[in-house]
Amino acid sequence: MTTVPAAIVCALLGACQGQVSGGPGAASTGTSPGAAGTGGTATGQAGAAVAPKELTVGATGLHRLSRIEYDNTLRDLLGDTTRPGFAKLPEDVNDPFDNDYSTQLVSGALVADVEALATDVSARALADPARKAALVGCTPTGPADMACMTSFVKAFGRRAFRRPLTDDEVAGYLGLQSFAVEAGDFYAGVDLVVRAVLQDPSFLYRVEIGAPVAGRPGLFQLGDYEIGTRLSYFLWGTMPSDELLDMAGAGMLATPAGRRAAATKMLADPRGADRVRAFHGFWLGYHQLPVDAALGDELRAESDALVTRVVFEKKADYLELFRWPETFLTDSLAMHYGLPAPGSTTGAWVSYQAAGSPRRGILSHGAVLATGAKFDDTSPTLRGVFVRNRLLCQTIPPPPPNVMVDQPPAATATGCKVDRYAAHRAGACSGCHNLTDLIGFGLENYDRTGVYRATDKDAPQCPISGDGQVFGSTAGPTGDGKFNGPAGLGEMLIDGGDLESCVVTQLFRMAYGRRETADDAAGISALTSGFKAGGRAFDALMVDVASDPAFIYRRWEQP
Amino acid sequence: MALRITRRSALRGLGGVAIGLPALEIMFDRHGEAYAQGQLIPKRYIVAFGGQSLGGDGDPLHNDYVPNTTGPNYDLKSALAPLADVQSEVSVVSGLSIPTANGGAVPTAGRRDDFHVSSLSPLLAGVRSPADTSAAGPTSDQIVAAAIAGSTPFKSLVYRVQVDWYLGVSAPYGRDMISYKAGASGGKPIPIVPTVSPQDAYTALFSNFTPPASAADQKRADFLLRARKSVLDLVGGKLQKLAANPQLGKADQMRLQQHGDEIRTLENQISALPPAMTATCGQPADPGPDSPPGGPQGVDAGGTSTYGTNLGYSDEEARARIFCDLIHMALTCDLTRVVSLQLTMFQSHMNVYALCGAHCDLHELGHNGDPVIRGTLAVSKMIAWHMKHFGYLIGKLRDTPEGGGKLIDNVAALMLHEGGHGLDTATGKTNSTHSTENMACLIAGRAGGLKPGQHVAATGMYPANVVISAMKAVGLPETLGEVSGAIPALFS
Repeated sequence: MTTVPAAIVCALLGACQGQVSGGPGAASTGTSPGAAGTGGTATGQAGAAVAPKELTVGATGLHRLSRIEYDNTLRDLLGDTTRPGFAKLPEDVNDPFDNDYSTQLVSGALVADVEALATDVSARALADPARKAALVGCTPTGPADMACMTSFVKAFGRRAFRRPLTDDEVAGYLGLQSFAVEAGDFYAGVDLVVRAVLQDPSFLYRVEIGAPVAGRPGLFQLGDYEIGTRLSYFLWGTMPSDELLDMAGAGMLATPAGRRAAATKMLADPRGADRVRAFHGFWLGYHQLPVDAALGDELRAESDALVTRVVFEKKADYLELFRWPETFLTDSLAMHYGLPAPGSTTGAWVSYQAAGSPRRGILSHGAVLATGAKFDDTSPTLRGVFVRNRLLCQTIPPPPPNVMVDQPPAATATGCKVDRYAAHRAGACSGCHNLTDLIGFGLENYDRTGVYRATDKDAPQCPISGDGQVFGSTAGPTGDGKFNGPAGLGEMLIDGGDLESCVVTQLFRMAYGRRETADDAAGISALTSGFKAGGRAFDALMVDVASDPAFIYRRWEQP
Repeated sequence: MALRITRRSALRGLGGVAIGLPALEIMFDRHGEAYAQGQLIPKRYIVAFGGQSLGGDGDPLHNDYVPNTTGPNYDLKSALAPLADVQSEVSVVSGLSIPTANGGAVPTAGRRDDFHVSSLSPLLAGVRSPADTSAAGPTSDQIVAAAIAGSTPFKSLVYRVQVDWYLGVSAPYGRDMISYKAGASGGKPIPIVPTVSPQDAYTALFSNFTPPASAADQKRADFLLRARKSVLDLVGGKLQKLAANPQLGKADQMRLQQHGDEIRTLENQISALPPAMTATCGQPADPGPDSPPGGPQGVDAGGTSTYGTNLGYSDEEARARIFCDLIHMALTCDLTRVVSLQLTMFQSHMNVYALCGAHCDLHELGHNGDPVIRGTLAVSKMIAWHMKHFGYLIGKLRDTPEGGGKLIDNVAALMLHEGGHGLDTATGKTNSTHSTENMACLIAGRAGGLKPGQHVAATGMYPANVVISAMKAVGLPETLGEVSGAIPALFS
């Protein structure tokens, strides 16, 4: 009749041989000569540039600010903390990061929203006397005060466009002062300038043009201010500070050493720690949690606290994130988990061992365990897909079209979940489901919000063993990828040795706002080697990405 | 009336351009069928869509939608019950199907075997589904808009009621859009991101409606409009210049060009004069702030699904009503002639508890996600929810005088559904909600000789044939993508 023949299904399953991105055997870091600075011109074009001969970099398009970046930028540019973009702008695609340019669509809805937002944001800034004074920076003598308008336009424009304005641009904005004169109100002109700037492509997009590299068609070295902007949205998720713009203007970001110094300083800033937490929220899927808001906030706070502790407070080996022996609990979250309350409504560190819990590390957190719920319960399949895709950077293909994924596996005589899912791992389906479900069953002792359970949901006759397997792996105590529980999975992943390259790959995706290509493989491989050799400090990895020679180049995208 | 003409003449002096004249009674000829100047009353075209099939999994009843009797005065089943008041304006077309690949190549105007979104292209564009989740050709609303929009300020209105995808860990990938315009020089069709905020839609359509009460107000309004246009001019110029930069890749140049085009469209919209107020065209009440977005659907601290809360639901009920009110007035005032209204997404994960009491989302409802409220009759409850809003809009169009008749006389409106019920060629299951067998849809209005109020069994036809009938009713050729031919029985 209509079912796809088994032979075709088997052919599809060839894809279930998980390819790890970024193969081994890479060049060491830091040996490529730094590209020369281009002198801080407004457009970043300063004649032909050079690039290391062996350097390759994947093609990219312009990035529009994501909703979160837009709101962060308004906060830092105008002191607007209402986060209006999140409520109004079209949804971003989080796959897993929010800044992949290839998912961004231009539309009439976007343009209308951006105009409405610009109008509201400007009105709010000018309605607050303190913010108004800080924004304009001078006291006008009257509506026609061109000196004051010029200084405002140049200062505001430089921060908003993350580069100095061209003379043409300044003249264009000064043209709006005629409305100030007509209205008899200097600030009517300021309002129009702010509105125009907030709708400008140089504000909404991270415009990167740069200078063509001699002999390398389509390859461009970014201008100094473009480098500063790339750095800032990578490490802070927001616009550059005045200090960073000054460093860019002085040509200090064009060399690896200059970027290393700048990035190190930026990560010491609270915005750097925010960005590290945001990376983990996107990557591990808890940026938006499918739970009610109060619980979601608590779960996120727990995972944020651990990330902060490992990366910044303890500056630990990053892999410890997956086996950390304590967690940060409030009394109410402890009650949720069924762990002893620490006696704090604001949260305290609690030792899992002292609490008699087998949990260890971030995979034991409700925030991570909440991903992939289905059919009113956990989905061992989706949890396995999550581990393969996000933590091992393998590609699990979507189910072949002859599989009905909208219904849970059919009931069996025992009524137990592990028996129902056994059907997945027989015959043609086993190719993929051995890779996914066996991991998922190792996490089954934890429900959709990370609460421990000894038996299946609504089936007390079905005990859960918590035994799982990273099928195909030779890691772990028994040498065949077997583990028990999230703590065991954490150890398993650490032992397997693929975690580092995957973390680097995921960070690359966020840093560059796109998926990696073959042209990026050598760079990612080199970064991974450096990460392993350098004691796996996550903040150092971010600095390495920022100071990598490839960071200041772009290759254009031709459809 | 003379006063209003005077105001209009006064406004013209403010730098606006006169476009989009609404149908003032004095402008009609004695029969009320054409403007006194000889222009015909404009035709209007509406495509509404629900991301749902007609039946539930495993239920031998394919639907509770298709009437038992054909012809006029058809019996109203539960899915169509809310249409009782407007039945004489609405025809039901049954017997439709979209063929599937069935393990082979995708047939003409057919779809891939995997279900969700694969019906988008054949249903809305008349073209077989491509490998991805987009439409392989422009959709009918955009083809019609290119032909009949004339100088209306809004070439089309593209709205969506369902606010969000509602699943935190995935993305809709095309399930959230039903309108595509033709790509530049034969390239891939360009998706049109719908407006989801009723507040924004209201502001865009009607913010320039309030007539200045005094000369000072008029001067102020003129000032604000000129300033706004100067800002947009400046931005548009910058985009044009940047898009021409040869050091950008071609893909970037195209993106920026499109952004610039959208700015120009916005400029044209705000440059349009507000239409003169008539007995029927006026500024509707401000709908106020949008209902708060509901966030991803999910579970509570006990691990129980929280379908009783607003997770996965943003009061789409209220939003649908407001959009219908805005659409009605925009058509009345001739601000636009073409509307695309996506009530729910393909494979919609909107929480339906508040709307029909089932503890699941719209997609799971078809898969018996609620153990009690299940099957085809449960699915019909939610089809009826879509129908309530479609019927409300049709009722308003029927009750609005225009020329010598009613606005509905110049409307062709479609209500389309994601699927039918029957064989799922991906799994071989019968009585499946993942099927495009046994499809049905609605066509309403009386434009171009449409004869509403009947049930037509169009066995063996594509849904696109119904779409083509609506296109024909507003004066277009009888073709859409790979499909041609209107359904004669729908016309008098």
